[in-house]
Amino acid sequence: MTFELILFYAFGAILLGAALAMISVRNPVHAALFLVVCFVAAAAIWLLAEAEFLGIVLVLVYVGAVMVLFLFVVMMLDINLAKLREGFTEYLPVGVVVAAAMATVLVLVITRYITMEVPERAGPEYANTEALGAILYTEYVYPFEIAAVILLVAIIAAISLTMRKRPDNKSIDPGQQMAVSREGRVRMVSMPSEKKRAPRRSAQGSGSGASDDDASK
Amino acid sequence: MITLEHYLVLAALLFSISVAGIFLNRKNVIVLLMCIELMLLAVNINFIAFSFFLQDLAGQVFVFFILTVAAAEAAIGLAILVLLFRNRGTINVQDLDAMKG
Amino acid sequence: MFDWMMNFFYSLPTVMQILIGIQLIVIPLMLAVAYTTFAERKVIGYAHVRIGPNRVGPRGWLQPIADALKLLTKEVIVPTNANRFLFLSAPVLTIAPALAAWAVIPFFDGGALANVNAGLLYLLALTSLGVYGIIIAGWASNSKYALLGSLRSAAQLVSYEIAMGFALVGVLMAAGTLNVGGIIEAQSGSMYHWFLLPLLPLFFVYFISGVAETNRAPFDVAEGESEIVAGFHVEYSGMAFAVFFLAEYANMILISALTAILFLGGWLSPFQGILPQAAFDLPVIGSLLDHGIHWFLFKTAIFLFAFLWFRATFPRYRYDQIMRLGWKVLIPVTIVWLFVEGVLVAFNVGPWFA
Repeated sequence: MTFELILFYAFGAILLGAALAMISVRNPVHAALFLVVCFVAAAAIWLLAEAEFLGIVLVLVYVGAVMVLFLFVVMMLDINLAKLREGFTEYLPVGVVVAAAMATVLVLVITRYITMEVPERAGPEYANTEALGAILYTEYVYPFEIAAVILLVAIIAAISLTMRKRPDNKSIDPGQQMAVSREGRVRMVSMPSEKKRAPRRSAQGSGSGASDDDASK
Repeated sequence: MITLEHYLVLAALLFSISVAGIFLNRKNVIVLLMCIELMLLAVNINFIAFSFFLQDLAGQVFVFFILTVAAAEAAIGLAILVLLFRNRGTINVQDLDAMKG
Repeated sequence: MFDWMMNFFYSLPTVMQILIGIQLIVIPLMLAVAYTTFAERKVIGYAHVRIGPNRVGPRGWLQPIADALKLLTKEVIVPTNANRFLFLSAPVLTIAPALAAWAVIPFFDGGALANVNAGLLYLLALTSLGVYGIIIAGWASNSKYALLGSLRSAAQLVSYEIAMGFALVGVLMAAGTLNVGGIIEAQSGSMYHWFLLPLLPLFFVYFISGVAETNRAPFDVAEGESEIVAGFHVEYSGMAFAVFFLAEYANMILISALTAILFLGGWLSPFQGILPQAAFDLPVIGSLLDHGIHWFLFKTAIFLFAFLWFRATFPRYRYDQIMRLGWKVLIPVTIVWLFVEGVLVAFNVGPWFA
């Protein structure tokens, strides 16, 4: 048993165990976390198959972004867990039988009919990212562009589906805030001067009052 | 030595588990979405394995596109889910019967 | 002496070499983290015109040790109804990526623990994992403040990761490689060959989103002690809290080191190509002027100081302002500059893209 095989079995066991846990736990947050474990283990297995770019991208895109989105949504929704679990035991036999039958058939077919020679490992100078980039931007450039458009559509769709203006929202539009000018806020009013108050002290008071009136004009 | 069968059996088991997951959690939309992600992962493992054993990068290019489309699917699926919860207050599949005649 | 040690090192089995390498990175890093907390208190102290900690040890030098001892001896309280396993694993999930990312950082020429082909991608993937510790901590605490903090922080980290990723795309376009050592090699020549000048907007975007990624002031709404007490780690105490703290500072040092590597040429000397060769042949000064780990540490320290400086200077952003800055300012800036850079690379303009 080589070291690679030990690694493969270890990560394979983690992958299958986490997948089993994912479909059977009660709480969707735990399910999402188990799915994260699945993705990380799968990324390790991809690295064993010399797909280093995709292995790292799986962690970057799925674990780092998509699963965060899942967790975000699961945590925000106030779900009645008991109701969603109804019928779990009812469907358990059917699910297990179908899955077991499928697994048996697939494994039988794979182990009986499919064999391939194990290719030589590439040397340390082999750059998977470079090779993938070279083929992606030449032979598959049109599908690549289509994939970009699909992502754009997904962004627009997700935003337009979930964006709403709440009537009770009092948030401030920073653009409006910045566009404020002095003229819009301050109005200079020229007013007639107030009536002269009765002088508190004799000559001094009246003199200063008159000069104040002049200044306000 | 890891052979092709190792990868394929692993992917087959993973796929079967996610099918079982769809049967078991058929009321919870969010877990259903996660099971679909798991299925796509199983398919991707097959692609990667064949790409390595045939020494052909086309398999990895396919995985790249599957990842892109699956990310888009997850984003739109979750957006629909949030909208659903906002409007109907539930994500139980059986309560989504507004189109029933 | 030195040769003898190197020979002994290379005669060890590979696993031992890797383990020793990890120790050589992690132990100084942990010391650096401890003394960064001290430096922060001192710097902010002087910024506030006070002295800062100066009681424990000579001039306060033992303060971080005293802090660590205090936190170690405190009880780790697990709240009722909190998920115990997730609650205790959240700090570990926060610090693990912050430490693992150091595996591909080259400290000097050829001085990286792992010379990975896709090093930059690896760094990006690991920095994107840091968000899990925060989300799990917030959820497992079974507290509303903690959940609010973790949701804020998750949205913020995911948003700024895009700007950060675009800035890194600019770097890899300029360097033509994903290997971190290769990126430094691509900047050699002289100080003007560093990516700081051709990628100036990306440099600013990268550092700003780095500050946001580490949840530091002025982007620390995830903690926001005046609004949501302490955010995601409000329920943590003792060593569990200390690990969050360590992770935050380890991330700060990592972002500073990455900024130094990606835009300021890491261990490259600023005097290369400026001083005549004779200057580098001088006995002691020559080796100081030449490339080496000291330049890398110096450049890292500059950015680390900037982190502390920001905290003492800027008031906290409001949450919607953070989102606006990330999505409507930083991302458009990076996209525009990537386009400009693409044109420059395509037509081999200037000394950088020739």
